[in-house]
Amino acid sequence: MKLRYKLALFNILSKIIFGLLFIIIMPMILERVNTIQTDNELINKREQVIDLIAMWGVDYFLEETRDDAFGSYNILKEEYISLEKVELDQHWNFIEVTQRKVEDEIIDYRVLNYTFLIDGEMFLLEIGKSLSSIRQTEKNITTFTLIFLLAFILISGIMDISFASFLIRPVEKITARLRKTPSPVLYDPKPIKTTTTEFLYLENTLSELMQKINELFQKEKETTANISHELLTPISVLRSKLENLLSQENLSDEAGAKTEEALKTLHRLKIMVKSMLLIARVESHEYLKEDNFLVGEVFHEIQEELLPLAQDKNIDLINEIRTDKKIHHANRALIFTMFYNVVNNAIKFTPDGGNIRIILRTHRENYEILIKDDGPGMNENQLKNLFTRFKNRPAHPRNGTGIGLAISKSIADFHNIKIEVNSHPGKGTEFIFIFSA
Amino acid sequence: MNILIVEDEKNLAAEMAEYLIKENYLCEIALTGQDASEKIAVNLYDFILLDLGLPDYDGLDLLTEAQNLDEKPGIIIITARGALEDKVKGLDLGADDYLAKPFSLVELHARIQAVARRKFNVSNPEIHAGEFKINIQSRRIFHNDHDIELTKKEFDLLLYLILNKNKTLTRIQLYEHIWGNLLDDQYDSNFIDVHIKNLRKKLSAHAPVDWLVTVRGIGYKTEL
Repeated sequence: MKLRYKLALFNILSKIIFGLLFIIIMPMILERVNTIQTDNELINKREQVIDLIAMWGVDYFLEETRDDAFGSYNILKEEYISLEKVELDQHWNFIEVTQRKVEDEIIDYRVLNYTFLIDGEMFLLEIGKSLSSIRQTEKNITTFTLIFLLAFILISGIMDISFASFLIRPVEKITARLRKTPSPVLYDPKPIKTTTTEFLYLENTLSELMQKINELFQKEKETTANISHELLTPISVLRSKLENLLSQENLSDEAGAKTEEALKTLHRLKIMVKSMLLIARVESHEYLKEDNFLVGEVFHEIQEELLPLAQDKNIDLINEIRTDKKIHHANRALIFTMFYNVVNNAIKFTPDGGNIRIILRTHRENYEILIKDDGPGMNENQLKNLFTRFKNRPAHPRNGTGIGLAISKSIADFHNIKIEVNSHPGKGTEFIFIFSA
Repeated sequence: MNILIVEDEKNLAAEMAEYLIKENYLCEIALTGQDASEKIAVNLYDFILLDLGLPDYDGLDLLTEAQNLDEKPGIIIITARGALEDKVKGLDLGADDYLAKPFSLVELHARIQAVARRKFNVSNPEIHAGEFKINIQSRRIFHNDHDIELTKKEFDLLLYLILNKNKTLTRIQLYEHIWGNLLDDQYDSNFIDVHIKNLRKKLSAHAPVDWLVTVRGIGYKTEL
């Protein structure tokens, strides 16, 4: 998962958790705050009423009514104030939730009960506020708070995510660069624009590492190339001497056969040296990739080259490529060698009367070429060493030095072609060359 | 024909000369670029076999010097470098052919003959082998004016054996001639045997091919 998505996900998750927590806790807090608020309000009103009573006297309120009680509601019965004379032996001053019947309607009120003495008579003052109105306020506040919270989460989330992605952009640039760098040789050490010290350090270290690897690679390749090159002249001398020897007329049959054996061995040496030279050259990108050509044509040529050999073993070598798929920006000679070695290998190991099929499959932009045989297949150990130079040495020297597939692999790497091999003992082998756009 | 061998590896130069002298060429050897440069300036050569990797001289300079002569010799470049640029440059500068070390002396001779045919029009384009008649230029083989269909490889193989008549050619020599420098590690495969088998089948349908013999333990030869 990308760092950016992780950060965003974490951001969203943490905000959701925060929001949920808030939604769970908020009603409790809100209720508490609201109660205190209502109570304060009630007490406030009490003070105002007491002030009024002090100003006009209690009779002013009670006169209007026949019995010794006064009550006042607002129209929607959200609040009421009542004042009545009571017989009580203790002083009341508390707030409670209680029901009141108002015009045949039972309503829950939060009520402040307050008693006071005037001229030796005790009066009870009740100031009530309907719970539904309190709830309404609560609901309003909740709605408002939720909207605010949502907006906050949304805006801060967007800001966080965009800032995070801005911050980590250098990392993404570095990884993107690494992704399109199949080999250290192709690494582009352009400095990355950032003020973050860690990223600068990362970039620098990467570039330095790549450079070091490249230097080592280069040295190794040069050594291989030099050794190979130096070996070719002595091989040439030996070869000429042996060939001159072979062309002598008075040579005995035995001496002739021995000379021929020596020439064969020398040829093997030549193939090994030249193969190593080729791999070193491919790996140090000494070849151009400027050819565009038809895949089918390459296989047609390979088939032409190898058909006599296949026919000799009664092997059906079938090229099923019918499309006019083109390989672009590649080295034709190298691609030819890459496929040739694998087909050749298949012929080598497929028993008489077998089948080898060459198939092209397309997946949108990408396509793959399969070389499938119904030969004896390979076990895991053989598969593991398949592309390792000289490790894949066949049991019989007639079958070569075992470097052919190593060459194919280095050519595939050079062209960014992926090779997959599916093989099981007794079930044949398929080589898949994956070309991705 | 008069050949100058420019090669700093003394052993190799000597073997090349030995083989070519047996094939009735006149050979001179220059072991250094300096020596070669002087020899080219003084003597007339039909052919120069030029190793590009000389320690004292840039082989390509020598090539230019040879090209500036009034009588241009045939030039075959020999190199162990095998780098593509060398080959292209060499052929651009007017070399007639190119051989990478380690090459076969038989192949070297065949290349000299081919260049000579092109350059000096020396050889008769028609060759006889048994009851067959081969036209080198049109690359066709006839029996009593009947055109026999051969693949390109079969024809090349046959021609190579006939041009080197009475000489045993090993499978590797034949293989390299037909497949060039394709890096096939099947050095001991039956490639050549398969092609010879097919060739014999096609030819013997018209006339006996007892002149194409297998030399046990070594390879093949044409007895003509």
